Amino acid sequence: MEPILRAVNLTKKFGGLVAVDNVSFDVSPGEVIGLVGDNGAGKSTFIKMISGVYQPDGGEIFFNGKKVSFADPRDARDQGIETIYQDLALAENLDVGANIFLGRELKKKFFSEFISRILFSAVLGLPLAVLFAWAAFHFFQWPGLLLGMLTGLGLGSVLGWLFACVTQLVDRRKMAGESAGALKRLDIEIPSLTQQVRNLSGGQRQSVAIARSIYWNARMMIMDEPTAALGVSEQRKVLTLVRTLASQGVPVIIISHNMQDVFAVADRIVILRRGKKVGEQIAAKTTPDKIVSLMVGAETVHKMGVIPRALENNGSAKV
Amino acid sequence: MTDTELATPSGSKKSRAERLSTIRKAWPWFFLILMVVVFAIISKNANNVNFLNYRSVQGILVYATQILLIGLAETIIIISGNGGIDLSVHYSLGLAAVVAAFVMRAMFAASLPPVLTIGTGFLAGILICIIPGWVNGTLVAKVKVPPFISTLGMGYVVYGIALLLSRGQAIADQPDYLAQIGNGNLLYYWPKHGFTFFKVPAGAAPADLQQIIPLIPNVVAITLLVTIAVWFILAKTQFGQHIYAIGGNIQASIRSGIPVASTLTRAYILAAILAGIAGVIWTARFTSGASNAGEPTLLFAIAAVVIGGTSMFGGEGSVVGTVIGALIIATIQYGLVVLGQQPYWQYVTVGVVVIIAVIVDQLGRALEHS
Repeated sequence: MEPILRAVNLTKKFGGLVAVDNVSFDVSPGEVIGLVGDNGAGKSTFIKMISGVYQPDGGEIFFNGKKVSFADPRDARDQGIETIYQDLALAENLDVGANIFLGRELKKKFFSEFISRILFSAVLGLPLAVLFAWAAFHFFQWPGLLLGMLTGLGLGSVLGWLFACVTQLVDRRKMAGESAGALKRLDIEIPSLTQQVRNLSGGQRQSVAIARSIYWNARMMIMDEPTAALGVSEQRKVLTLVRTLASQGVPVIIISHNMQDVFAVADRIVILRRGKKVGEQIAAKTTPDKIVSLMVGAETVHKMGVIPRALENNGSAKV
Repeated sequence: MTDTELATPSGSKKSRAERLSTIRKAWPWFFLILMVVVFAIISKNANNVNFLNYRSVQGILVYATQILLIGLAETIIIISGNGGIDLSVHYSLGLAAVVAAFVMRAMFAASLPPVLTIGTGFLAGILICIIPGWVNGTLVAKVKVPPFISTLGMGYVVYGIALLLSRGQAIADQPDYLAQIGNGNLLYYWPKHGFTFFKVPAGAAPADLQQIIPLIPNVVAITLLVTIAVWFILAKTQFGQHIYAIGGNIQASIRSGIPVASTLTRAYILAAILAGIAGVIWTARFTSGASNAGEPTLLFAIAAVVIGGTSMFGGEGSVVGTVIGALIIATIQYGLVVLGQQPYWQYVTVGVVVIIAVIVDQLGRALEHS
């Protein structure tokens, strides 16, 4: 299958430090890729180049077969690469619908904001111009008339800019309905869509953030430690959701420290170490031990005979 | 079909947190009613005065107008969050009062027609406030000066300019018809003779004036219209939704493409315009303009906003809450007058109420999230 994303020899340097060194890999539709590596291995830097936060110092990115370069994260998102960071970018004081449509609210159609602005400027500006011109004429004669008129028109345009908003009404019913549909398509269950997002559990919030990306046509999803702050059952739900995304053709790159999670969802695992890609394994044909030894460098494990504490805790790595 | 049903196909009931938050948001209503009842009982027993009549209601409403208008300005700014507060609106009120009085005095002296005089004076007073509002908004949204500092500084600038314009004096010599607007009523009822609009019935002799009941003071009607407009903007428009979003999470708002700077600038201008409206109302009520017209209002207005359940951290609050908050403060002020107490007690009482309000709010939130 044609890969949806191809990163070729991506390199990023910070001063003398090479954070990412000639890393290449492909992502195909419907695939879940686990991106693993120790702290400072270059995972975040690599992801930030794909999501438009950093511009690569070398290498190329192909998305949907076309060479792309992203000016900023918004650019990447507009082209279909969505990144979900741990903070989720939700407004916790708003409900689910408002969050899914954050910044892109559905409106009841009257006029566009532009037309409304011109209308208001005219409707408010002309009477103001007449009034001020009339008043100023009495005191300053013709210069007053001109000045009053200009002041009136100027104020009219300011008021038009200010009050154009009154025709731009948010359609909450439609947003709630659309949100319910978007959540349903991803088999996400949230008890009440009208409550504030802050009252939802961590997993539900994650789901809302994911549903938002999908609703706005994400073609590929990058998730940074999606399960880090979640309880066990919540973790499982989010991982199920990741598989659902993949089965609907949206590939997911998942960054995680947790080997269990990576093995639970990933089809392929890419291992970075000190900015270099040191391995790429099919999840079904490898073991956590193998991955860990690639992550920390095989020699290190054998020489020191210890496993980093973080990996010891989840019990999946035994040497 | 309600929105809730639409959103929850399973028809599940509202969560406990949602129910608790409904109760928490309703408490100012209970408090207002309690306040009225307490004043009614005390005034009946101690002074044998009837507190519960239309005169009290009218008095309270008129007392509430200025606090409410400045309170609405603060509501918009405080909801926008990120330390948002406007410490200059009461000075903008003074500036508007001075400018309106200045213009109307000049035009009245030149014996220009009343409609022109009033119209130009009011509009000049209100619209001059666009300038301090725009400066505040630009400082906060673009230059990123903390709102507390930028509006404090701007407040002093505005106050100084108003003082310079008025040379520190009240601007009197206003048109005689101005008082009719500021202290008149929309409707008068003369029992057995019927209703008249705007003016006391023409045929009424001075002895009859006692019987005539004034209904709906003009300033209350204007404030009501403005309040509805602000409620509409905050609750129904995309602009209002963006203000809540910015107050909830400014980073997420920026990332999701909300025009944060322009929204904040507009919010500060809107707040200043509300202050301007309060300013010209002041001029109309007292038929003069003074730079310190808004002096005691700012803290009462912020108190009204807090009592009304608006969070000082932003993102939460409503116009209805601020209306109740303003009514509670006005009831205290008016009630103390009716009871014949020293008016200075209002500060003590309002202070206690604000603290109780915040404690109740915090307890409510703690329960919701437990």
